[in-house]
Amino acid sequence: MLMSPAKSNKYAIPVMDNDTSPHPESSSWGHNIALHAPGLPHHKSRENSLRAATIHSQCAYSPNPTYILQMAATRADSESTTPRRQPPRSLNDLPDEIIQHILYFVPPLDIILKVQRTSQRLHNLCSQPLLWRYHCRVQFKYWDPKHRIRQKFLGGVGDVDWQALYAHRAKVDLETTRILDSTLERQVDRIQKFELIADFGYDAKDTLLQHCHIDEEAEDVLARRYYANAILDHVHRTKALAEWEKILRGEDIPIERALGSFDLFVLHDQPGDLLEISDLLDDIVTRLCVETPDIAQLCARKKAIAVVKFLRAYNLTGIASEIAYRDLQNNYIGIALQDQGHPSLPLISVAIFCAVAQRLGLDAKCCGIPNHVHAMICPRNNESLDGGHLTNDNNAEPMYLDPYRSDAEVPVWNLQVMLAAWGIQEVDQPLFLHESSTAGLIVRTSRNILATVHEFRGQVANTDDNHHPTVRLHANPYADLDNAFYSALWANFLFATQPRSEVRSQRHFIPLILEKFEHLYPMDASLIEQYICPLFNNPSVAEHWELHEALRVVRAADQTPKQVTPRDTLAARAIKYKVGQVFRHRRYNYMAVITGWDVECGMGTDWCAHNHVDLLSRGRNQSFFHALVDDTSIRYVAEENIEIIEPEVPIPLMSLAGRFFKRWDQENHVFISNIRDEYPDD
Amino acid sequence: MSSTDDQTITLVSNDNVSIPVALKVAERSMLIKNMLEDIGESAMESPIPIPNVNEQVLKKVIEWCEHHKDDPATAADDDSDSRKKTTDIEEWDQKFMQVDQEMLFEIILASNYLDIKPLLDVGCKTVANMIKGKSPEEIRKTFNITNDFTPEEEEQIRRENEWAEDR
Repeated sequence: MLMSPAKSNKYAIPVMDNDTSPHPESSSWGHNIALHAPGLPHHKSRENSLRAATIHSQCAYSPNPTYILQMAATRADSESTTPRRQPPRSLNDLPDEIIQHILYFVPPLDIILKVQRTSQRLHNLCSQPLLWRYHCRVQFKYWDPKHRIRQKFLGGVGDVDWQALYAHRAKVDLETTRILDSTLERQVDRIQKFELIADFGYDAKDTLLQHCHIDEEAEDVLARRYYANAILDHVHRTKALAEWEKILRGEDIPIERALGSFDLFVLHDQPGDLLEISDLLDDIVTRLCVETPDIAQLCARKKAIAVVKFLRAYNLTGIASEIAYRDLQNNYIGIALQDQGHPSLPLISVAIFCAVAQRLGLDAKCCGIPNHVHAMICPRNNESLDGGHLTNDNNAEPMYLDPYRSDAEVPVWNLQVMLAAWGIQEVDQPLFLHESSTAGLIVRTSRNILATVHEFRGQVANTDDNHHPTVRLHANPYADLDNAFYSALWANFLFATQPRSEVRSQRHFIPLILEKFEHLYPMDASLIEQYICPLFNNPSVAEHWELHEALRVVRAADQTPKQVTPRDTLAARAIKYKVGQVFRHRRYNYMAVITGWDVECGMGTDWCAHNHVDLLSRGRNQSFFHALVDDTSIRYVAEENIEIIEPEVPIPLMSLAGRFFKRWDQENHVFISNIRDEYPDD
Repeated sequence: MSSTDDQTITLVSNDNVSIPVALKVAERSMLIKNMLEDIGESAMESPIPIPNVNEQVLKKVIEWCEHHKDDPATAADDDSDSRKKTTDIEEWDQKFMQVDQEMLFEIILASNYLDIKPLLDVGCKTVANMIKGKSPEEIRKTFNITNDFTPEEEEQIRRENEWAEDR
């Protein structure tokens, strides 16, 4: 800054001391404003001073409007003490407060680049902390946790360099857009570019969301939305794994964050981030307290019943129909809280209950009874569940609830009978009536997700009955399924080393994660390096080399420019179809879009044998096409199996096609290529 | 509380012109409204001097208040800086603000003094729109501002904010 605010000239703004009062506007600024500018957004202090003047006048003089207005007039005009003043001929003739008010309506980058360069006085006025706090607040919704932004907003305005903070976010915004633009230009160095954006963490999220929601008319709408979502997904996964790592380190993480991390894997550009999940739960608690005003006075047992009754009255737990039990969405706490019907599996229902009950001061935990998670409430603070003093072990027993299907307390003997029916010996039963660890709940959720994935894949293969389970989250169902599966792999990998597991089972997940990484999530190289590689540091283990090689291959492929395939040869000119055309497979009936071609089959003998290429009527000696299929896979198809179609809009492909295409050409019914660096003539 | 639509008060500009105004219109000014509440009915009978505003400006401000007399009162928390302020100006106000710069500033000063927040906002938005998209030199020219930076200072500010330049 050129001039410190303290260096006084007649326009100097008030010095911002370390003001920690809860109402910074009215304390450090109030005095100044009251003197100069009634009408500015500081009514309270102005009114008070005016009323004080009025009361004073009533004591000493008869009520006199002239006196009051004269007083206000003097205050209103910092430039002169007489009511008559020179007409304002320049912006400079306006008092500081009015210019500051004007600045609220000027786009922030215009202030930074233009207004503050016009004069010393404007430069000073442009650095008012309230203005920049305002822009920070209204322009950005998501902040990287390192800023602790909620605390900053609550604190004194002078405690934070808001202008610098705004500048930081504006820089991140510009950089993110610049890097994304260059990612869309060529198919090279995309991993490195993704990492640059991911380094901004949640500070990049607002900008990425803007690109995810880019206007339908944008020239590269599909590509921009696709890659903005892909980077955002990666940022979300980074967050989820960081959250889970805290649990591994022994930190106490609220249940909604631990399970909400699964949401992050499938969230895309939708609401339901961890902070939003917490806010939704806070809202439930607020509503509950309004409906049950005496909740704070209730004993723990009655309080717990009140919570479960409230949740069930508003349908916030359980599911409407058991037929939909295995629907993928029932595994997600964030989706359950936002969905109209709020469907959730028992584990998620219990988690919602616990999160609400804990907010009301109850010691609520998830109880890991096999097959059906229950909630348990334990006495705390030397007080029994019924409110009496905790004297002996008799009244120290926890209570059990099943928020998924009942609003009544579940007597412990019910559970004991159930456990006995499963052949669990009485001596072992306490083990199951005990609190489940957060890690245990994560692994359990991942198994529920895997069960749905397997069931879904099994039923798609068997086309007679594909009613259930349904996959209806936020994106293409197959992409959702991939993401859900991937989250389950990570959860199992990270928590496999928990007690009662063996390291061997952790190794089991590495090839599965690597396979997904290579095909779908190359931008996750950094996550593999951060969370998997250090566990296999020893060059004598096979995994060390497997990981090393997978990362090298993926990074090398990303760094190598694509081989250019022009249509300048006779053979290439003869190829019937072009990149961007949509077709239906003559034999398998799926819909796909062409993403590349070879003059003749470019695969090895093994592949040809496995796929019966020689049984095709024209065998290997016909053109072959790379194709992106509506189930997210990439396939290699012989020309004779392609039946070009020209749909109005190929809806199942629209959220996937951005990987290779800019947009859908409504007139010619083809996708416009974004891979001209590879196929310049298509 | 007894204010009816036909009640009229008289305002006197600082160049001594008396202007009769419907009470409801005058009460768009929070300063006048609060004053009348504090002093009571008796004040309505005598002319109220507005020592800071001349006839031409006062009439212009009254014209605005007249047009907006039935606007819903703005909620108190509209002032909070947690909500995005709109920069839109409704069509009638845009036309109303098509005045020379001196008058524009006079309206802003008068609305600030009389505490007519919505009019102050319209005035400030109008000035903000005149700033938008202009270079520093154009802003200086438009608003008659003198560049009092040394070349070194100018260069320093430019460098500090280089990151925001169009690329």
